[in-house]
Amino acid sequence: MSVNSSPKEIGSLSFGLMNPEEYREMSATKVITADTYDDDGFPIDMGLMDPRLGVIDPGLECKTCGKHSGSCNGHFGHIELAAPVIHVGFSKLIRRLLRGTCRECSRLCLTEDERDEFRDNLERTRQLGDDLNDVTKAAIRQARKKNRCPFCGEKQYDINHEKPTTYYEVQDVLSADYTDRIAAAMEGRPVGDEEEGDVDREAQSPTQVADKTGIDASRISEILSGEFRPRPDDRKALEKALNVDLTEEDMNKLMPSDIRDWFENIPDEDIRVLGISAEKSRPEWMILTVLPVPPVTARPSITLDNGQRSEDDLTHKLVDIIRINQRFMENREAGAPQLIIEDLWELLQYHVTTFMDNEISGTPPARHRSGRPLKTLSQRLKGKEGRFRGSLSGKRVNFSARTVISPDPTLSLNEVGVPDRVATEMTQTMNVTERNITEARRYVQNGPEGHPGANYVKRPDGRRLKVTEKNCEELSEKVEPGWEVNRHLIDGDIVIFNRQPSLHRMSIMAHEVVVMPYKTFRLNTVVCPPYNADFDGDEMNMHALQNEEARAEARVLMRVQEQILSPRMGLNIIGAIQDHISGTYLLTHENPHFNETQALDLLRATRVDELPEPDGENDEGVPYWTGRSIFSELLPPGLDLEFSSSTGDTVLIEDGTLVEGTVDEDAVGAFGGEVVDTICKQYSTTRARMFINEVATLAMRAIMHFGFSVGIDDESVPNEAEEQIGEAIDNAYERVAELIETYEAGDLESLPGRTVDETLEMKIMQTLGKARDSAGDIADEFLEDDNPAVVMARSGARGSMLNLTQMAGCVGQQAVRGERINRGYEDRTLSHYPRDDLSADAHGFVESSYRSGLTPREFFFHAMGGREGLVDTAVRTSKSGYLQRRLINALSELETQYDGTVRDTSDTIVQFEFGEDGTSPVKVSSDEENDIDVDGIADAVLEAEFGDDGEEFLTDTQTNLSEQMDNFIAGDD
Amino acid sequence: MVDASQHNLVPEHTIVEEEELEEVLDEYNIDRTDLPKIKRRDPPLRELDVEVGDVIRIERDSRTADRAVVYRLVIE
Repeated sequence: MSVNSSPKEIGSLSFGLMNPEEYREMSATKVITADTYDDDGFPIDMGLMDPRLGVIDPGLECKTCGKHSGSCNGHFGHIELAAPVIHVGFSKLIRRLLRGTCRECSRLCLTEDERDEFRDNLERTRQLGDDLNDVTKAAIRQARKKNRCPFCGEKQYDINHEKPTTYYEVQDVLSADYTDRIAAAMEGRPVGDEEEGDVDREAQSPTQVADKTGIDASRISEILSGEFRPRPDDRKALEKALNVDLTEEDMNKLMPSDIRDWFENIPDEDIRVLGISAEKSRPEWMILTVLPVPPVTARPSITLDNGQRSEDDLTHKLVDIIRINQRFMENREAGAPQLIIEDLWELLQYHVTTFMDNEISGTPPARHRSGRPLKTLSQRLKGKEGRFRGSLSGKRVNFSARTVISPDPTLSLNEVGVPDRVATEMTQTMNVTERNITEARRYVQNGPEGHPGANYVKRPDGRRLKVTEKNCEELSEKVEPGWEVNRHLIDGDIVIFNRQPSLHRMSIMAHEVVVMPYKTFRLNTVVCPPYNADFDGDEMNMHALQNEEARAEARVLMRVQEQILSPRMGLNIIGAIQDHISGTYLLTHENPHFNETQALDLLRATRVDELPEPDGENDEGVPYWTGRSIFSELLPPGLDLEFSSSTGDTVLIEDGTLVEGTVDEDAVGAFGGEVVDTICKQYSTTRARMFINEVATLAMRAIMHFGFSVGIDDESVPNEAEEQIGEAIDNAYERVAELIETYEAGDLESLPGRTVDETLEMKIMQTLGKARDSAGDIADEFLEDDNPAVVMARSGARGSMLNLTQMAGCVGQQAVRGERINRGYEDRTLSHYPRDDLSADAHGFVESSYRSGLTPREFFFHAMGGREGLVDTAVRTSKSGYLQRRLINALSELETQYDGTVRDTSDTIVQFEFGEDGTSPVKVSSDEENDIDVDGIADAVLEAEFGDDGEEFLTDTQTNLSEQMDNFIAGDD
Repeated sequence: MVDASQHNLVPEHTIVEEEELEEVLDEYNIDRTDLPKIKRRDPPLRELDVEVGDVIRIERDSRTADRAVVYRLVIE
């Protein structure tokens, strides 16, 4: 491509068969020699490595186009096949055409009316965008029903296809034992497989037969003696007179040349009825007479270390083809017997077949000398590693990095910590102008190893120069406007960050770079939920963007703060997690008091640098601030909210002040934190990002202020409670024993729709479930409210009350497949129990708590239940992964248009209005009680725009780079 | 035989007149074959006198948009 060529748009593509003449025309040379190089190492003329087919050795010139290796794409050659062979890729279409057309006149066996019908049908299907194959298959089926050609009246025979490339015509011919059959029939005996009495047949003398059939009596005796074969007419007359079948099926093999002749005679108009374009694809072109030889660039030979040349698999296959082709021609010229010719023909067919596809069923794959099957044309394209999935849809990219991730709570959620060694490897192109020339020179001056340095420079003439430690000083002085400098990543650059599996759009987000020492990517813990990342060794990928459009798009659409709301349910997916939630809970639940130092320390990492009026004074007259008022400092002014927290109290926020309630998961958590959600929708994503960042840091300070730790001993309950729990469980055991007694006495009444056995099981499960719950209630009662595990469960930070119950009270019934454990030995779960024991402990009820420890038998049952859980999750992830893949493939081409409709790539409408209402789930209020305060937003915007006094909508104070960037974009920096 | 079109969960199906259809196709700038499809033997169409090639308007209650109008092309 020349430098000046402008980008072109592809107007249309058409697919069709290739005319053999076209193969010859585009061929650079005919290939006749099966060898590649001669003894001196030069390619043989008209051989498989003919220099006219392209160049692979650097320095040589292509004999066809004169270009050098690298710029010459190579040129096709061709082999003239000694006899036509079938193209395996079309074996099914060939079979269809053979079945649908007349063996004599080659016309499609359909009457005019039928043709019109199928033509209309075809047109309609094409318009509807459905599969044309359904129509053409139906047409062939119709044509195949005909016994005789509607045009020439020739009898049609069935076509048998022996995979992959042999076709037979099934004809009725005179059976080999016709004399015996006639003799038997004339004597009135059963013929062939017939049973005595099956057929009503009288004995007839030759003269009688001669009379009936009109054949000479002498001829009949000749036929009987086998000296004379009856002609078809005579055969039919005999069959009629004697009521006997003299035929047997015969397979008449159709040679590729026969098929080619047959197809050549199909009129253009007939194939159009089958949806084939006669101009682009004449059917006879499916039978190859010329084989194109791929250019050497598509099958380069490699020189091994020992100087030996190793050829590509395709070249090996072509050698085979040319050899057989040569032998075929020699044998035919020498007048070899038909049998040998046919063998060679079959061999040629085999080689051409495997050249195109080496994984055809029913054909042994062609193998390399080592026994490895050859990788031929179709194998290059197919499968995950093939050309389409491996080289075109997915390929390896430059400007990417991958390493382990680790947490850094000091970063903004918009940022990512990039190791310096990554930053010096990945570059951004800088167009040098008069305004940034000093900057550019400084980068070059720092060289490739100093951090904000440069790796390459590009002169206006297009020459690329590598910046080295040696030449960097010198080079930096040469840099002028118009040059390009590939400088290192620096703080504030935008990059794309991704963690596999990329299941939703939040798996790929844009972050701002913060260059850091050491070897891991650092990220704020609040972005763990969207990536589904943790730090147990997870790795993530980073991509540096290479043009301004991409960078702008990433910043506007893909930045983490733009992804706070998940389109899945319109709730925020980024928010406080785990310790953040425990922290805000500790800060706000009991509304503790802090003195000035403590309060300032809590707000240290936020943009708040002045405390509000103190909430009061303690007994000694020292002012104090409450946790809620400290938290209120983070809320935007004007925010009004009321909702109930997961702790159970009502949270009331008035004009940006937390009046009452506990701030926990339902307020600030990821997955639906009400405050985060509201700020996102009523203020801005920037404000929401600031809020989340600050909540995270405040919460960390708060939790560090109070101190927070959990151990299993925190879950011990007093003896009194232990006794109560034991009692509750004993009670349950008694009730179970009673149930079993009634059952064994036959007095148990079954529940509707269940057997007595099922009823018993259900009731036992119910009783034991209740026992565990009451054990939990007792434990809950005795655990203090400030117990760390209780704090975590109540606030929604981690764990549940059930987990607590199991630790402090009783682990409860273990289940496999939703039933009590019922497997193991004959009529019992373990040999420790009597047979048919229905009691609780014989079927996996674990009475102990995790803290007290499980008995060996309990432990075993627990492991059974646990195993099921593990298997379940493994199966679920793989199942749902595959389901998701298929869904994505099915929906991938749907797109919402500017007119609000959803259409696929062929412009077929799928939805007339996106989601019926044309709204985006992330722009809509999360529930009816919390409508978005549209008027409030409008007022705030007007105020910010025109109000002379009022506080700024967004404050000027900045906590991190993201804000600086926002202001930079807005132009007020 | 149950008349499906009378069921309270089945939205209203009506045949679109030619002139009105023109407007609809114009509005979306499409051919009639680009519309979603409905089988002629679809139960709600049983009581309507439809032919292949007709366009059906379906007006259904929507949870989010009160009323949603959809057009479908009748096929075999």
